[in-house]
Amino acid sequence: MIILKIAFRNIFRQKRRTLLTALTIFGGFTLAAISIGWSEGTYSYTIDMFTRNQMGHIQIHGKGYLDKPTLYNTINNYRQIGETISGLEGLEGWCPRLYSSGLAAVAEKSAGAIIIGIDPALENEATGFDKKVAEGKSFSKDPAHEAILGSGLMDILNADIGDSAVIVSQAADGSIANDIYEIVGIVESGDNLSDRSSFYLHLSDAQELFVLDQRVHEIAIISEELGDVDELVVRIKSAVGESGLSIEPWQEFAKQFYVAMQADKQGAWIMIFIIILIVAVGVLNTVLMTVLERIREYGVLRALGTRPIQIFRLIILETNFIAVGSILVGLVASTIINYLLSIKGISMPDSITYGGVEFTKMYSEVNAISLYIPAITVIVTVSLVSVFPAIKAARTSPSKAMRIH
Amino acid sequence: MIDKSREIIRAENLVKTYEDDSVPVNALRGVDLVINRGDFLSIVGPSGSGKTTLLNVIAGLDEPSEGRVYLNDKLISEMSGRELSDFRRDNIGFIFQSHNLIPVLSVEENIEYIMLLQGVPKKERHKRVEDILKEVGLEGFTKRFPTQLSGGQQQRVAIARAMVSQPALMLADEPTASLDSATGSELLDIMRSLNEKRNMTFIFSTHDKLVMDKARRLIVLKDGKIASDEVKE
Ligand SMILES: Nc1ncnc2c1ncn2[C@@H]1O[C@H](COP(=O)(O)OP(=O)(O)O)[C@@H](O)[C@H]1O
Ligand SMILES: [Mg+2]
Repeated sequence: MIILKIAFRNIFRQKRRTLLTALTIFGGFTLAAISIGWSEGTYSYTIDMFTRNQMGHIQIHGKGYLDKPTLYNTINNYRQIGETISGLEGLEGWCPRLYSSGLAAVAEKSAGAIIIGIDPALENEATGFDKKVAEGKSFSKDPAHEAILGSGLMDILNADIGDSAVIVSQAADGSIANDIYEIVGIVESGDNLSDRSSFYLHLSDAQELFVLDQRVHEIAIISEELGDVDELVVRIKSAVGESGLSIEPWQEFAKQFYVAMQADKQGAWIMIFIIILIVAVGVLNTVLMTVLERIREYGVLRALGTRPIQIFRLIILETNFIAVGSILVGLVASTIINYLLSIKGISMPDSITYGGVEFTKMYSEVNAISLYIPAITVIVTVSLVSVFPAIKAARTSPSKAMRIH
Repeated sequence: MIDKSREIIRAENLVKTYEDDSVPVNALRGVDLVINRGDFLSIVGPSGSGKTTLLNVIAGLDEPSEGRVYLNDKLISEMSGRELSDFRRDNIGFIFQSHNLIPVLSVEENIEYIMLLQGVPKKERHKRVEDILKEVGLEGFTKRFPTQLSGGQQQRVAIARAMVSQPALMLADEPTASLDSATGSELLDIMRSLNEKRNMTFIFSTHDKLVMDKARRLIVLKDGKIASDEVKE
């Protein structure tokens, strides 16, 4: 207890030095907390751009569809599946999709297109399709031979809203699929690559075109929380059963994207390592200086019968007092900064394109990991760095120390 | 003819050679010494004669190169580490020339320090602190910090701290060296009165004539050897 008291009061002896040490620790902690918050925030934001707005967090397909996406590998009872899962805890929305490819033509121009049949109501609810319609309007509730094209495809086809677009493809029964639609809207999904080929139809129109009555290729599911996707997968699997279906989270159906995101995250750890190194060097320097200055005092304490381990504790406690104080202030500062960055975001100097998606702004995140990882790392670093000076102090020979004047 | 029951320190053939420099220094060259309970003994001698070394070896702060030291028949020259720390804490009070006090602790806390290490209960601690402060003439100074005291007052606190746990032996290395002679003489009077009232054994080194005169036994060191040992009456 008395050791604790001495350690605490020692903090206030060289106020400037303590302040400098505290600032180093505070700065290191706050930088680390901000960079983790940023890394986690941009990670979640990028993933959300892909998953929440497009791919979904979870996808259901016929078994083998992802390896070999054919027109014939369909989900035949999608309404029933939808009804079963729509009440599940943590599920925000779901939507069916039908995919095929074909030739799209407007007047003289033609281009290859990916035809995507969507249920407008469900798609709006799940991925906010209507918000991606940049010009014109979204689909009518009932099928009306309307088409909505990606902005890139519109350019390629030199088309305008109101034009007629013809699709030529092959239907599931082997016949030629061929029909004419009115272009009612233009989509800008943020994914430029897919906007160059997307040709959206009302699901019923698409089913009719490809002779796939009541059938779809994919059910996309949106989870309420990105972090709860795995648990939702388990719930869906047990509710729906897996016969003939594959139910996968985004980490699996978009594996390359996931791997790229993970690699991106490593960058933050290198940054933290460098920050910690700076803190370590700074703290070692001041602790060592302090210990050398007080060697006489440790000699007195030893002569009075203080055990070496108690002197050791004295040094470790003193640096940890400073560390804990600095971290507490850092907690407040970094939470405020992370919060501001999470609502205001930072505009990218040059917009970054990632897998076809354009990012003009990135957002940070307020979360526990960005606080406790730096806190633990700083405490451990500061303690480790104090071990050497503490051993030096503990080994003070009282007789030698007393001859220092 | 030595009466064993009166004996508190027995030092046999103490040799101390400092080897850390290129030329070895013989600080003690065979010191034999018996100190009795209740002695008020002064070790004198010119600077470099080995006074500090002898006190440190007796206190167990330093190891002799050769020879043995017994305190109350316990061989302390061969104890080590934690055993020695605890032994020192419980048996020996040490007063240095200066800077004896822990600057961040108040007078009261400085005096309590050893009792805190020993685990003496709070009530008992307070009582002993009050009593001892009265004896060294520093009543009412409990809450002061070392920087708020004069040199003489600081040394009195150091004595109080060393005394408070009733050690068998008090060692003081030139306790008056940093004080003016009037204050030094006052300090010696306090030590002398504690010696008489509590029959506490004091060994102190000095090269101050005034201080020597207060001793009841005078040992003169010269080049690491005892040159004379006289008991005054
Ligand atoms: N740590 C040490 N290393 C080397 N020589 C020392 C050391 N401590 C003391 N000495 C030498 O030992 C001799 C005795 O010193 P000391 O005991 O301090 O004498 P005094 O206290 O009488 O002045 C001196 O010559 C001194 O220089
Ligand atoms: Mg000396």
